[in-house]
Amino acid sequence: MGANQLTVSRGTKRSIVKALLSVALTLAVTSVVFLINNVNPVIAFIYLFQGAFGDINLLSETLIRMTPILIVSLGLAVSFKCKIWNIGAEGQLYIGAMLGTIVAIGIGGGFLSLVAALVIGAIGGLLWAAGPALMKVKLGINEVITTFLMNFVGIYLVQWMISYPFRSPDTYFPESAAIPSSSALAVILPGTRLHMGVALALALVPVVYFLLERTTFGFKVKVVGENPEAARYGGMAIGKTIFVSLIFSGLLAGLAGITEVMGIQFRVRGSLSPGYGFTGIVVALLGNNNPLGVALASLFLAAIMNGSSTLAWTMNIPMGIVDLMQGLLFIFVLASEPLVRLLERRGVLKL
Amino acid sequence: MVHQVHKGVAITPLSPPFFEGKGDSPGVPNEEYAIFLKGVSKTFANGTVANRDVTLGILKGEVHAILGENGAGKTTLMRIISGILKPDSGEIFIDGKPVRIRDPRDASRLGIGMVHQHFTLIPEFTVRENVALVLASSAWLDLKKVDEKIISVSKEMGLEIDPESKIESLPVGKRQLVEILRLLCQDVRILILDEPTSVLTPIEVDSFFKMIRDLKSSGKTIVLITHKMKEALQISDRITVLRGGRVIKTMPTSEANEAILASLVVEGMVPAPSLGRGTPGDTVLKVESLRVKDDRGRTAVDGLSLEVRSGEIVGIAGVAGNGQKELVEAITGLRKVESGVVRLSSEDITNKPTRFIIEKGVSYIPEDRMHRGVVLTMGVHENLALKCIEKPPMSKNRIIDRESMVKNAESLISRFSIKASDPCASVENLSGGNIQKLIVARELSNGGVVLIAEQPTAGLDIKASEAVHNKLVELRSKGVGILLVSSDLDEIMKLSDRICVVFGGKIVGEFVTENLDIERLSRLMLGAK
Amino acid sequence: MIEWIVIAGLAAATLRVAAPLLLASLGETIAERGGMLNLGVQGAMLVGAFSGFMGAYFAGSLWLGLASAVIGGVLTTLLFGVLVINLDLDQVVSGLAINLLASGLTLYFTRVLFTGGVSPYLGDLFGPMPIPILSGIPFLGEVLFSQTGFVYLGLLSVPLIYVLLTKTTFGLRLRSIGEDPVIASYLGINVLKMRYAALLAEGVLAGLAGGMLTISMFNTFDPRIVAARGFVAVSIVILGRWNPWGALAGSLLFGFTEALSLRIGVIFPELSGASINQLFALLPYLVALIALVVGGRGVRGPASLGKRIGRER
Repeated sequence: MGANQLTVSRGTKRSIVKALLSVALTLAVTSVVFLINNVNPVIAFIYLFQGAFGDINLLSETLIRMTPILIVSLGLAVSFKCKIWNIGAEGQLYIGAMLGTIVAIGIGGGFLSLVAALVIGAIGGLLWAAGPALMKVKLGINEVITTFLMNFVGIYLVQWMISYPFRSPDTYFPESAAIPSSSALAVILPGTRLHMGVALALALVPVVYFLLERTTFGFKVKVVGENPEAARYGGMAIGKTIFVSLIFSGLLAGLAGITEVMGIQFRVRGSLSPGYGFTGIVVALLGNNNPLGVALASLFLAAIMNGSSTLAWTMNIPMGIVDLMQGLLFIFVLASEPLVRLLERRGVLKL
Repeated sequence: MVHQVHKGVAITPLSPPFFEGKGDSPGVPNEEYAIFLKGVSKTFANGTVANRDVTLGILKGEVHAILGENGAGKTTLMRIISGILKPDSGEIFIDGKPVRIRDPRDASRLGIGMVHQHFTLIPEFTVRENVALVLASSAWLDLKKVDEKIISVSKEMGLEIDPESKIESLPVGKRQLVEILRLLCQDVRILILDEPTSVLTPIEVDSFFKMIRDLKSSGKTIVLITHKMKEALQISDRITVLRGGRVIKTMPTSEANEAILASLVVEGMVPAPSLGRGTPGDTVLKVESLRVKDDRGRTAVDGLSLEVRSGEIVGIAGVAGNGQKELVEAITGLRKVESGVVRLSSEDITNKPTRFIIEKGVSYIPEDRMHRGVVLTMGVHENLALKCIEKPPMSKNRIIDRESMVKNAESLISRFSIKASDPCASVENLSGGNIQKLIVARELSNGGVVLIAEQPTAGLDIKASEAVHNKLVELRSKGVGILLVSSDLDEIMKLSDRICVVFGGKIVGEFVTENLDIERLSRLMLGAK
Repeated sequence: MIEWIVIAGLAAATLRVAAPLLLASLGETIAERGGMLNLGVQGAMLVGAFSGFMGAYFAGSLWLGLASAVIGGVLTTLLFGVLVINLDLDQVVSGLAINLLASGLTLYFTRVLFTGGVSPYLGDLFGPMPIPILSGIPFLGEVLFSQTGFVYLGLLSVPLIYVLLTKTTFGLRLRSIGEDPVIASYLGINVLKMRYAALLAEGVLAGLAGGMLTISMFNTFDPRIVAARGFVAVSIVILGRWNPWGALAGSLLFGFTEALSLRIGVIFPELSGASINQLFALLPYLVALIALVVGGRGVRGPASLGKRIGRER
């Protein structure tokens, strides 16, 4: 292969610095918040870490939490690389979960049920993104607005479905029936809830890497995203590339949704996703749309989300800290670019 | 005598501008002159000298044409007057008083207004709203007063403009009128128009000139930037010829004609030595009666026909904006052909998708290399494979063969002496000259039959330019047909076997480079018959 | 046969529910007309609700609560301004970041400041302010003239903001920035100042919208009260075609949907437990999407909406 496989390019170094900077600033501000509330930040972070990685069970839980985030973010990374802002991953996720669940229950059980559910669920997410994708390519309508609106249509549709036509007969709350236990994703680690979905998510990392770096599609995504004019000049099919990248992110969002059901939740509830579709956006950005970076970033987010529940009952720090940290992280990820540029100009950093 | 080089052309030093009689003497900056410039110079950051010690006067109430080719410094000069640019040295007098113009607001306050080639109207707004935007002085919008002003100014212009109409629904010619209207509503007394007829159809030009005369009779001073001699002669009272950033001459229009103007514009120009000739074979590119519209819907290429044979370089000479850009885009599939045919050897490639045209063997070095020619954030190897990524050896079954890409890059880097630290280095780290070399390398090595080169050496230093020129000549000797579009006449003369002059979207003349009649060439470029 | 009294109740409830949406979407309309897609209006509403409650509770005065609601909304929206105008960050992502931040902060401080992590109830609320004489009119009296001050404020704001956008210099200039900030800047408009002014207006309105939720409608603070109302407001702006009257229509539509879904069992006993009302909830979004497809360019919104601010600020 090429002579420079191992040299870390300037771009990669830069994005690592940006990521570290964002994380550091987030932790710094969070520490201040802790201090204001008479909480020792060092101890808090230790508990946070322990809560995420403390023992086999906790680690499993963190990986379980990471799974949907990682899958969604990988899809969004492709879309974002094409400069297509899919903010409808949440709706696509719910639709995928619902559709897949219906199929799983419909088929009745067993491995076939599982595979069909995963496939149909993913396709459900894909179809949910297809509408906005068509509107973008054929009508030039801003995908930010259309995917955003489709979130509501998707989520309300699913809520209706689990409240009425597909409501579980056994329970009081609006939720779907449970999937047949024989169709659930197998548990990898006995004694924990760690399921095959984690393996699926991790397996997708090299797949998306391959897609972006080694296929002509990935090449086109990069060109269209960076310089559509050059793409035109080079005779590339811009519309098709945009369309495929958007529906691909929908595909993965749908997959994330159904994986959650088949692996851990086993039914569709209104509370299926605590905003994974939006968390995915932060993670994709934090990971600079690079599959490996995205994997690390997903782990980080999952750790924060899970670790903070430990913080909640050991130090009485409320769950709001998760959103707070996410929000701060979001802002600092964005601000890291101008910040790094400023530091480069002042000569503090040489990249 | 010290010879100076401007754009690669040796010119004899010029004696101070030659004046005859009061009509053209810049004399003293007194109140007779609406604008008087004294010794104005401007050099840009990249070293280009746009204006060199310009001294000229625009009399009050006259229509004054500033005539010159590309790079003569016309637009820069007017931008200085309208406050967009600041001069490096020199003085400006308005109505006889020395002024400092720091920004367009200052210019506006002095009664100066400029209509640029890119309009500053908001398309979604109506005429009324666009005018109100600049007139509004109090918190409350007095639209009635705005309407009154619009109606009275339209009368002055001899036109009828509906304040209610949205800009985006107006044809381009009308939009330009609204731009002028807006300036006049701001009580602009000195109107500067930059190539105004470039957006007008021949029919509109006549009514446009009538309006200019109406404005003049209502006391306005009008400065017209143009490269079209005919128009300068038709409408102006006096003409100033600019060349290479200097004033060559200011003269009353009554004493000028096409021959005189053309000779002034090319004064002292010596044809540069040609780089040899090719041996042309069969026709590889044939354009027949092509009609192409520009971005604003106007016909930019108007029944143009030309032919390029294998093993020859055909140079397109002409002032920018006469349809060259649209012609090139039409041939390469980036712009729709309204009527006419483009043929590659015997194959019809009119309006075919770009990919098809690339596959058939049309290579293209674009003028806008940063935005069109390369993807800055991607690597050298990737950019070199930009057009052939979907075929072997670069990829097979949609999977990229990275090794081939790198090998290809290494080979091209050495063959074309591209200075890059690594075949996979990011293109944004390359210098401008090397980026152009990259593009040249790519376009010259994909086995094409026809190459279209647009401003191939713009912004490059002498060494890099020579390298590109040599490569083009080399390609010609391999039997490729090359269409060279350049506003650098020197480059055209050096490389071309045949030169076609384009004006108003048509080919108005064809020359062979031996014993070239530069004056006639120049006249044709400026619109003479 | 449905009785008038039921319809009147439904109509009155529609206006009540629509009011916070109306205020927030009016604010967002102003911002979007200036070219800024501020998804952070959701966060601003949340902060407004929170600080409104805090002010009322700790200061013991509803009016101080109102003031803090406004301040909270303004600070949140101005933060958005700093991110997208001064730091030139992507608008969509900045808005989402603000929302997360607001969500985290409000949740966090609620749990921390109150025992048990649940906020108490206010003793007092801004209640309905029936207009004398007019409130006696049958039907209209109940629907239109016996509402809270916030509803009146919302309704009055519609024509006011319409006039602001179409008949004042400020409005014209703001709209020009929303169409083409480069040209606006070239014409001498102070784009930076005007964008901040627009955000200020939005902050006030969003703060009021959020504040009214806690100090007028529900008398406690819980994030579920705010739900996704801010995002709904953004959708209303699209549905209403970036026009204050459209925002009114959209807010009424959403308000109607919500009010109806709460009462459907009462009005149509045979439909209680039926599925229709849930589907009603997604109808407005579908309509907004269809409107986008069917409409022409003007329906797509201000030309520079959501674009990176860049150098012209």
